[in-house]
Amino acid sequence: MEPGRTSYRAVRAIGVLLILEVIGLVLLGGYEFLQVRWVGINLESPQHETVEVAVFALFIPSAILTLLAALSFLFLQRRGWLLAAIAQGLSLAVSLWLYSLFQPGYVYPIMAYCVLMILYLNSQDVRMVFRPREGASHEN
Amino acid sequence: MKTERMGVESATALLRRFEPVIRSTTGDKFYPMDAEPYVQSCSLWVQRPGEEARCIVPGGELSLDRLAQQPMDEAGAVHFLKFTDEADLHPDARGKSLFLRHAMNRKESRRAFRAGRGRLARVGYFSRFVDALYSIALLARGRVPGESAAAASVAYERIMAEHAHYRYHGRVVRQDGWIVLQYWLFYPFNDWRSGFFGANDHEADWEKIFVYLSESEGGEVSPEWVAYAAHNYTGDDLRRRWDDPEVEKVGEHPVIYVGAGSHASYYAPGEYLTELPLPLPRPLARVTHAVRSFWKTRLGQYVGEGEKDAGSGYFSIPFVDYARGDGLSVGEGGDRAWDEPRLVTDPPPDWVSGYRGLWGLYARDPFEGEDAPAGPMYNRDKSINRAWYDPVGWAGLDKVPPPAETLEAILEQQADIISRCDALRAEIDAKSRQLKKLGAELAAMRDRSHLDAPYEAGTRRVAALSGEVDRLRGRLATDEAVSQSLEEYADRLRAGERDPARAHISRAHRPGSEDELRVSRVAEAWAAISVSLMLISFVGIAMFEREHLISMLVFSIAFFAFVEAGFRGRLVNLVSSANIGLAVVATLILIYEFFWQLVVAAVLIVCLYVLWDNLREIRR
Repeated sequence: MEPGRTSYRAVRAIGVLLILEVIGLVLLGGYEFLQVRWVGINLESPQHETVEVAVFALFIPSAILTLLAALSFLFLQRRGWLLAAIAQGLSLAVSLWLYSLFQPGYVYPIMAYCVLMILYLNSQDVRMVFRPREGASHEN
Repeated sequence: MKTERMGVESATALLRRFEPVIRSTTGDKFYPMDAEPYVQSCSLWVQRPGEEARCIVPGGELSLDRLAQQPMDEAGAVHFLKFTDEADLHPDARGKSLFLRHAMNRKESRRAFRAGRGRLARVGYFSRFVDALYSIALLARGRVPGESAAAASVAYERIMAEHAHYRYHGRVVRQDGWIVLQYWLFYPFNDWRSGFFGANDHEADWEKIFVYLSESEGGEVSPEWVAYAAHNYTGDDLRRRWDDPEVEKVGEHPVIYVGAGSHASYYAPGEYLTELPLPLPRPLARVTHAVRSFWKTRLGQYVGEGEKDAGSGYFSIPFVDYARGDGLSVGEGGDRAWDEPRLVTDPPPDWVSGYRGLWGLYARDPFEGEDAPAGPMYNRDKSINRAWYDPVGWAGLDKVPPPAETLEAILEQQADIISRCDALRAEIDAKSRQLKKLGAELAAMRDRSHLDAPYEAGTRRVAALSGEVDRLRGRLATDEAVSQSLEEYADRLRAGERDPARAHISRAHRPGSEDELRVSRVAEAWAAISVSLMLISFVGIAMFEREHLISMLVFSIAFFAFVEAGFRGRLVNLVSSANIGLAVVATLILIYEFFWQLVVAAVLIVCLYVLWDNLREIRR
């Protein structure tokens, strides 16, 4: 399933944006991780801040999915759209869940980025690039 | 509208020349028959408001002539026939044999007919849920008793044993230059629900097939269009041009694939998913439409294809109409030949025009699906059926001139437009002159303080007149373009070119494709159990997981939705919809948490944009 020349830009742009998202997640996670003094931590009754940072690990699956989706896009595989959409949905779901529990500060930039990515992935132009071929009856 | 009569012999000859070939589905038990023996086996009843139904003419004493007399008629009274005897449905000796017969019939039907895959698997949760409610509602609604199909089958076999026949009722009318051959097919019973998992059962079923002929100056007739009645299809969607490849023919006889039990008529064999749409309430539909429009046009978001009308109704109850054509066929080249048709002349005989009641049991179903239909001339509410008084308009053919008249109609229309253009040009000339004079007057008044008031009034008059001249010029330009295309259309017709055969169809009957029918057994099993399973899981969560009620419900719904979407090949839609929902919630949270920051950011962005735009202008 080779995309046409005109759709190259959109496909690559999404790939780059997804890579940026992964880099952002790694940097944000690293920064949060460095804010906590892990030496001598009390595992039985950890501090609230420590738990907030620890649950950042919940973003690891969605970061891996995002990376896979980004690679799919960069290698021009259209199936990456579903992977990217699932990754964004997962990130956003985790963010909303964490927001409902702790309201950690790092969820806001993730939420904002995911919302923009979802809008971009669902935009008419991008969806038309990833539309199933003529005659295909199912979308997935 | 003007309908004309035709001689009995020529009418019969025409009817026989183009009579249809019907192909039914294996398992179907009822075929087109003469109305007379049916009526003779019926009793006539009347249901008056607030009273028990009363038998007026007992079974065996009724005839077509007697049917036209409607005694005890009054406001709100419903006359109806009863084909199956109530005594047959009670557990006496006769009832017992009928019960056995009923059981045997079901067995035979099951052997002869196997339902296609995936009626429920082809539609979503809500539709399946509504389907379940619809079935449950049948217990409360008026309906045809379960044994009626078996009783009708016995009665039909009795009639056929006395005099086996396959007959249609034919009527020939001329209307608007067309000769309309009406084939009215009468079936003694519709066992769609009890026999074929359909929407309803009812006694008596009147179906219709119309063939539209054009006549040359020499009197030669040729078939141009056909229209088969099928469920909720109307107007243009009903008819096909004679040369449409979809219209199968045996010689000059159109072939009809009859829906099993429902007796709806189709052009091609197959399994048709018929969906009863449930429209959204109007205010909700308006809101939905507005949101979709904003989502698509303002935000440039994808809303899917083929969902243009989705704002008016999202849900439907699915039924499959099996028109496989693998059963008995009647007509030219079929298993049985048609008997001499019963001609319905004009003025219509009394049994057609005089009896306005129902042709079978009045089940008092508020949705009317289980009530028998009225005769060919009437609707259930006793109003006259459009197919009877306007057969051309019924199939949307009222705007289509017969071939012999098409060129004439085009040239007439073109002449009308040309004369309208001439009138428009004259009007534009006059108004343009007036406009110029007014313009000159305004120029003369400009910068004269004592003429300020008339100057203002003159300005308004000029603006109004200028607008009117503009509108007239626009109309003229359009009329000239239309006239030009009429000219080209006439040229194409003179050259023997025809319109595309299917250009008039907006919603064609379409049997399920191979892909749609290829639903796996697992998907079908899932479709059958999923609604119940989901409800049970909700109950389980409510009983045993009250602490995590919301999260468990969300998880449960997500799980069922994911599996469902996977089976139905709509994973992309599901992910997309879920993402949009999450994005909306996240956006609201961000706005709530950072309202002022967002306002400041928006203002800053606007400032930067204006600055950049102005600097770019200076650099040029």
